[in-house]
Amino acid sequence: MIDNFIAGSVALFGDPFSIGIFIFGVIGGMLFGAIPGVSMLTLAAILLPFTANFDPAQGVMLFAVIYCTGTYGGAITAILFNIPGAPENAPTSFDGYPMTRNGQSGKAVGAAVLCSAIGGVSSAVVMMAATEPLANWAISNIGPPEIFALVFFGLAVASSVGGRTIWKGWISVLCGLLIATIGQDPVGGINRYNFGFADLAAGIAFVPAILGFFAVSEIFVQAEKKAIGKFVAPELSFDFPTILELWINKIAVVRSILVGFFCGILPGIGATLAAFMGYGEAVRWSKNKEEFGKGKLEGVISSETANNAATGAAMIPLLALGLPGGAMTALMVGVFQMHDLEPGPMVFYNSPDLIWIVFSAMFYANLSILFIGLIETKTILYLLKIPFQFLAPMILLLSSIGSYIGRGLVLDVMIMFGAGIIGFLLRRSGYSIPGIVLGIILGKIGEQNFAQGMQMVHYDIVEYLSRPICLLLIVAGLLTLLTGVYRAVSFSMKD
Amino acid sequence: MSKLKTSHIVETCVWIVIVAVFFGFSFEFNQEIEIYIFGATGWPRVILAILLAVVLGNFLQLYKKGSEAQKGRIGITDDDEDIKYNSFRSAQKLIAILMLPFLYALSLKPVGFYSATPFFIAFVIMLLGEKRIKWILANTVFIYFLIILLFMVLLNAPLPQGNVSPFYDFSALMLTLNTKLHQSFSF
Repeated sequence: MIDNFIAGSVALFGDPFSIGIFIFGVIGGMLFGAIPGVSMLTLAAILLPFTANFDPAQGVMLFAVIYCTGTYGGAITAILFNIPGAPENAPTSFDGYPMTRNGQSGKAVGAAVLCSAIGGVSSAVVMMAATEPLANWAISNIGPPEIFALVFFGLAVASSVGGRTIWKGWISVLCGLLIATIGQDPVGGINRYNFGFADLAAGIAFVPAILGFFAVSEIFVQAEKKAIGKFVAPELSFDFPTILELWINKIAVVRSILVGFFCGILPGIGATLAAFMGYGEAVRWSKNKEEFGKGKLEGVISSETANNAATGAAMIPLLALGLPGGAMTALMVGVFQMHDLEPGPMVFYNSPDLIWIVFSAMFYANLSILFIGLIETKTILYLLKIPFQFLAPMILLLSSIGSYIGRGLVLDVMIMFGAGIIGFLLRRSGYSIPGIVLGIILGKIGEQNFAQGMQMVHYDIVEYLSRPICLLLIVAGLLTLLTGVYRAVSFSMKD
Repeated sequence: MSKLKTSHIVETCVWIVIVAVFFGFSFEFNQEIEIYIFGATGWPRVILAILLAVVLGNFLQLYKKGSEAQKGRIGITDDDEDIKYNSFRSAQKLIAILMLPFLYALSLKPVGFYSATPFFIAFVIMLLGEKRIKWILANTVFIYFLIILLFMVLLNAPLPQGNVSPFYDFSALMLTLNTKLHQSFSF
């Protein structure tokens, strides 16, 4: 492994053009992740055609680097403006934004930088050491029933955070699942709920919905506060977390690395569920549960470690099995296909150079989060100084462009603004926006894997639950769900 | 004693209407799938059934406790502070802010990104309370050119050009200038 890693590093840093692409990827990912309204996906979608002129290793490496640094970059907007750069940063805003409101933005961003780097580097090391055995384990133990079970567990966790009551948490998640049913059904390809719009046959695009629910609704919330004179600009602070504060949370870091890695390795799940589950587990094991959501450093640490730990793991199903784990890895499949390559087991034998250049680049990209991130943080915190009336049009414009670029449809821009208004009204009533977004993301994956799982076990529920990982996750999900309902009912009964 | 407010009843009714509409439309694609016994409607109808049950649970909670947040809930990102409008003008302002992006999105097809955007920027800045004309103009120009530089010049992103003259002609002029710029710097 060490020899291959050194060979990959030499190949990466021995070619000036590769160095240029690496640096562009690191800075581009961080910037696009950190600019409110656009995300690493926007950058990747724009860059996809250009990669045709690159060497295949350079193309895949560029996307892998953007994936690592962009996942971190989205935390900045989640913390500073309550606008997660990507869905995987949504749980970061639960505690990150309250920290900004409490004048601790520097501490939150500093923790995000450090924990993203730790999560990413650990994941990259495991990925280098064990891609093939882990992929083999995943092939023999993980199938559609387990993936559906994990989706169920993830949604149960998501429903327990974000909403004003457990009912509102569940309504949010179910609303997301309902939105995800728009478009063709994943089994028979039958059109559902297109309401006469031909463009809706492909479903509600993922990027406009996210930008609408997160970015646009946040602008509307702040605009409302401005309109009624209750807007207070957050304070600027450069206090970074101390070594002691980080050391206290070491168990949260290790737990989030494990959670993130496990979620990342499963095809189709990716970093978003990892972040929610990392956060959910931090809450579950904490002695001071009531402090979460009010600006607790552990919340930021758990979510940011888990989502970056998932980035390396998400490369395992992509490279070893040819299965993308999320939108970004799906775009990487596009890069492979542009060069007449198919990701999958044969890549390890046909293009070992490509694999090790990508692995080394991801390792260094995660390390660079630490160094460039700390420098960038000091600059990016000044975004808080821009008056809201000048920042808002910029965010709205970037969101519009980000929505339009994906499919070239003005309908997507309208969907984004529609989602923004709906998100604004739902937030006013105490519903969970991250819950809706997670429902949209996991809806199709859940339905597809449920159908495949049922077909696999010939619709025999006993056989379905006789799979140990599946049973464990379903039971964990049901327990989370029932505990939530019990708490809600006992809360209602109290006078 | 009931803590129900009109807004709670409206909220519940909206969800029930959504469930009813989606259930009604599900008959449009009620087709069998040979390889899958639950068909295309199985999954959405299960979601709708659970949603209806949860909406009723929510209604009961609203009946007993009103809008009060459940104890121990995590990650409630919005403030609990009551939003109250002091004047009709504040409400008007908010409605304008909510509607303006929609008008902008509607204008993108006929007018195009290049012509509609400066007006959109200026109106948003104004609606958010900026009254100094010089600042509005300066920031509109700055944001517009920043966006053009990033997406048109550097990234060559395809943006809506409009289909009505003279807006379409203006978009064509912008793109011609961009091509000339690229040629003169050969990038």
